[in-house]
Amino acid sequence: MTMLAELTAKPAAEVSDRIGSMELAWLVHLVEQRYERRLDITDDELAGIRTVDDALLVFRASLTASADG
Amino acid sequence: MDEVLFAGHPTDVCLRLPEPVDRATLHRLVTAAQDRLTSAGLRPGGAAALRLPPSLAYVVNLLATWRAGGQAILLDHRLTDHEVDRALARLTPQVVVAPLRTGGGALKIFVDVTEAVTRYADRPAVSGHAVIQLSSGSTGPSKVIGRTAADLVAEVHRYTRIDGVALPGERIILLPSMVHVLGLVGGLLYGLHAGVELVPPERLSGDAVLAAIGAGTSPATVLGVPFHIGLLASTRPAGPLPQLRRMTTGGELVPAAVARAFTDRYGVPLGNMYGMTEVGVIGTDLHGAHRPSIAPAPGIEVRESGGELWVSCPASPYVGLSDPTRWSDGWLHTRDAGTVDEDTGLVTVRGRLDSQVSVGGMKVDLTEVEATVAELTGVAAAVVVWDGGITAYVQPDGPLSEETLDKLLAERLAGYKRPRALHLLDQLPRTTTGKLVRSTDALRSAVTP
Repeated sequence: MTMLAELTAKPAAEVSDRIGSMELAWLVHLVEQRYERRLDITDDELAGIRTVDDALLVFRASLTASADG
Repeated sequence: MDEVLFAGHPTDVCLRLPEPVDRATLHRLVTAAQDRLTSAGLRPGGAAALRLPPSLAYVVNLLATWRAGGQAILLDHRLTDHEVDRALARLTPQVVVAPLRTGGGALKIFVDVTEAVTRYADRPAVSGHAVIQLSSGSTGPSKVIGRTAADLVAEVHRYTRIDGVALPGERIILLPSMVHVLGLVGGLLYGLHAGVELVPPERLSGDAVLAAIGAGTSPATVLGVPFHIGLLASTRPAGPLPQLRRMTTGGELVPAAVARAFTDRYGVPLGNMYGMTEVGVIGTDLHGAHRPSIAPAPGIEVRESGGELWVSCPASPYVGLSDPTRWSDGWLHTRDAGTVDEDTGLVTVRGRLDSQVSVGGMKVDLTEVEATVAELTGVAAAVVVWDGGITAYVQPDGPLSEETLDKLLAERLAGYKRPRALHLLDQLPRTTTGKLVRSTDALRSAVTP
């Protein structure tokens, strides 16, 4: 939420939970910058992301998978 | 068209995807696509609707449509079936080009498309324009905007006379969609005409943009919208990027802090452009010297009338609409508030005078969104406002869940037009005379009990 707040310049508490493709690109970008690693997410996984919570689940799975590999 | 877009050496690279596509290859692909379009029913004076994501297939079919003497109707691939059906019924193309298969993903800038051409109607194009684009409309359905071939060629030539654009032999790192005017004319058509390589990054991320810049040795200009400045400003480059000449964005005003973050990190100019679907590029400040003002592009006149910016535009660009408040006597009424400095001629845009907002560089008219929400079954009344994002307040007419509402809207509105926040209220706030209240403060407090 704080990451999205950076994009919209709004307080984190006011950021909507629903995300579009631009917010999603922004989140992927920031997570990749923070973890210095590319998230390998499939088209289907990306297409299924509707909310910040969905995104977190997918990001976590991707980061865990790449840490294992 | 060949003289304007296909002159130059056959081995010159036009596109890097990242495989190079040279002029001879592009020409061969366009000729083959032209055969497919004509055998599917496209004839000179007819129209082809292109419902394609940014892809080589889009570029090829667009150029092939023009070579076949046809009008290209550009439909953003994010539009819903509902929106597309309405557009097709109104614009009666002879053929529709749509993907059979796409590869890539949500973060791809250019995708792999295998397209299919289907016959649609057997009628001539609704106007003599070379290209038709849809813009979110203030009265329900989308506005239809046409540009003639002569007008597009004039805009391409205008670009060649602007100081600070990518020069022949250089590269444009292309981020905006080529379905919309900045990517279409400022990227694709100018690039083909001037011999500038077009390089869409492998995907939408800061690292991929930097990789695209670093992948060649020639000077590179990044073309994007303000969202892309943020991406780059927050990316740490691994090393120096001597190829990077500048970044240029169009779309909406860039906050000063974002502009500073970018120039501090990269040490190159951040250029700014102002344009509209109706006329293309209107003015620029490619050296970032006049921010937030811009200088009118060569051959373009801008004046202020009652606080509104008017732009010289010889013929009305609107199809099937004669609204003198939008265009009259050779002037396009932009609905942008602004001023023109009497001494310097510099133009300062101060925001919209109507209900249009910009979502990632895409124009969305809140009236269109509100009309779509309000006419849904189960909705008694709706107010749609901009509150940091598109926000809808809905008064249901009986039982209606947010989930159902979401689903209905997803069928009718492209993703970028859909509300980011939905609030269901038993009663929308109204004035004493019963009118819906539109103040964001009043609407917010109606939600919090």
